[in-house]
Amino acid sequence: MGSTEEESAVKEPLDLIRLSLDERIYVKLRHDRELRGKLHAYDQHLNMILGDVEETITTVEIDDETYEEIVRTTKRMVPFLFVRGDGVILVSPPLRTA
Amino acid sequence: MANNPSQLLPSELIDRCIGSKIWVIMKGDKELVGTLRGFDVYVNMVLEDVTEYEITSEGRRITKLDQILLNGNNIAIIPSEEATSFGSFQITDFPERLLIADLRPSLF
Amino acid sequence: MSGTGERGSATTKTPADFLKSIRGRPVVVKLNSGVDYRGILACLDGYMNIAMEQTEEYVNGQLKNKYGDAFIRGNNVLYISTSKRTLADGA
Repeated sequence: MGSTEEESAVKEPLDLIRLSLDERIYVKLRHDRELRGKLHAYDQHLNMILGDVEETITTVEIDDETYEEIVRTTKRMVPFLFVRGDGVILVSPPLRTA
Repeated sequence: MANNPSQLLPSELIDRCIGSKIWVIMKGDKELVGTLRGFDVYVNMVLEDVTEYEITSEGRRITKLDQILLNGNNIAIIPSEEATSFGSFQITDFPERLLIADLRPSLF
Repeated sequence: MSGTGERGSATTKTPADFLKSIRGRPVVVKLNSGVDYRGILACLDGYMNIAMEQTEEYVNGQLKNKYGDAFIRGNNVLYISTSKRTLADGA
């Protein structure tokens, strides 16, 4: 394993985002939305510009008769996306493997 | 001099609670009881020996925590010490006690 | 209750003190949504933005996801806890 010191040089949380520039990242948003895409730009609010984005939307419906929860996920591809930071819950960079 | 109660600032009231057990009612169906260790201008609080009460879709859940930093953003009410201890017993003695959240109309 | 007792700095621990003391330690971060994240706290800032390592995501006490590194936006944070949590079930 060749993980070096400077690779893990995370002094403040936003460094984690900075180190993910031009990488594909996972973004968990409010209202059960998830994004996977390449991070082109971001700012301190976590406003982000993502490219080649796959958006996953999860909905839960209750069956009228059986009262069973029906979980549905719908996906769509978006070439470019501006994400407003206030909707962001979590950002995960790609696994940095040696 | 802040001895005049009418001139007591809210932050001074909380400052007096440092070292004592306090009860915090959050926005949403959550309450916490714990010993206040400190707080800041946003009323973020360091609490110790915490019991967290929450109402989830799967019923009531009680969680014990050693030490936490509680975000002040969602704090609704901090009842007085008199409200936290009724004579000889403490509010934490009642895992089955009524939560404020129980009083609200609820889907569950 | 006297209310006049002196409080030495030994008994007080401000949020800033707490944050300094927990870097590199295992923590539980609970969000307002009720979701828990357990992992090693790498660092955090004044907005309660958090960087964590070896992060596990728990929804209703069930493990739902794992992330190598995770950035959590501070406005979603309900609390940061040092302890391993013990669950007493209510229901």
